[in-house]
Amino acid sequence: MKWAAALVPLLFLGVFLLAALRRVKVYDSFAAGAAGALPLLKDLFPYIAAVLVLAELFEASGLSDRLQTALSPAFAAAGIPPEIAPLVLVKPFSGSGATALLGELCARYGADSYIARCACVVYAAGDTVFYLSAVWYAGAPKRPALPVVIALVSNIAAFCVGCLLCRVL
Amino acid sequence: MNAVFLILFSVSAALLLARDPAAFLPALLGGAGKAVTLGLTLAAVYAVWLGFLRVAQDAGLVRGLARGGRPLTARLFATRDAAALDAAAVNLAANFLGMGSAATPAGIAAMRRLGRTERADYAQAMLFAVNCAGVQLLPTTALAVRMAAGSAQPYDIVLPALLASLTALLTGAALTRLFFRPPFSARGRAAGRSGRRRANGRGRTNERGREHRSSPPPTEQNGRRHSPSPPPTEQNGRGGAR
Repeated sequence: MKWAAALVPLLFLGVFLLAALRRVKVYDSFAAGAAGALPLLKDLFPYIAAVLVLAELFEASGLSDRLQTALSPAFAAAGIPPEIAPLVLVKPFSGSGATALLGELCARYGADSYIARCACVVYAAGDTVFYLSAVWYAGAPKRPALPVVIALVSNIAAFCVGCLLCRVL
Repeated sequence: MNAVFLILFSVSAALLLARDPAAFLPALLGGAGKAVTLGLTLAAVYAVWLGFLRVAQDAGLVRGLARGGRPLTARLFATRDAAALDAAAVNLAANFLGMGSAATPAGIAAMRRLGRTERADYAQAMLFAVNCAGVQLLPTTALAVRMAAGSAQPYDIVLPALLASLTALLTGAALTRLFFRPPFSARGRAAGRSGRRRANGRGRTNERGREHRSSPPPTEQNGRRHSPSPPPTEQNGRGGAR
């Protein structure tokens, strides 16, 4: 994956030079963007904290192990490692919760393990379906169910393919 | 999420109470401690990427991507409403570059405008499906979390992640087409194409010039670009009547 590592510096270089060419004040512009980081964290942190507190408790109580055992046949059939079950279940509801669980999984199983790689792919593919449906169809008289079902189905398909690719690539 | 939180918390707490009550508070504090560590990592990630994305935005790249994608969006959403297509394209481009904060307002605007097109149900469902696929050039948060955990090869998830989200995109788009019946596909497609070509040919010069200023809202730009070219609307009316 050498090309992917080269992608980031090339991207930065390309965009900054293009911006300079179009007379953008790159330094000021970058700083203006970076200024948004802490407010964003301030908004997210409470939820990350809540989810991680819950995850820790969930783990300590042994409920997590039971859930994993209960779900492992279904996950195994889909080719998704049962260890990432909590991530798969939380993801449709909460993006910050998923971020919290991703960090947890990477720390516990090692960032280069198959499980952590699957977790990263599951985190990166798809989106927070229920959350998005609440925001996007907020103006609609009633929230249609069919698009949500379609989105969930396609997300699950993506998880299966992603975990499979993690094994192959 | 509220119900999920309450149920999981109560059940876990009850189980822990039966097994080992002394482990309760340490578990809570341990979780919060991890949140602080993760928060610091995320703050660094956001600072770098939000800065970068702001530069990209100020350079007009989001708008450029949106414009380049119009052939695709016109076909995807089965409409010729340029204002709606522009908002949708800005939303998709912002998503692709990983700027969620810019994507959501554009997405909501697009949703409202698509709601007024002739195939509102279909177009809205399609926009929703495409957004839920979360296609991203680089999954920056996942990469950063992985790097923070000490990965030797953090980038080896980029390709699987991209392919997986493309799977979600294709599945979602296909299912939406299937269940929401594509409207007058052949005719709509042809009309959309000619309308787009005309709009592109004319809009280009004056759009460039405007781009250097703070990017104007899609509506305004489009009203101007589309008003001098009546043919698309005419086609539109004819298509609707038949």
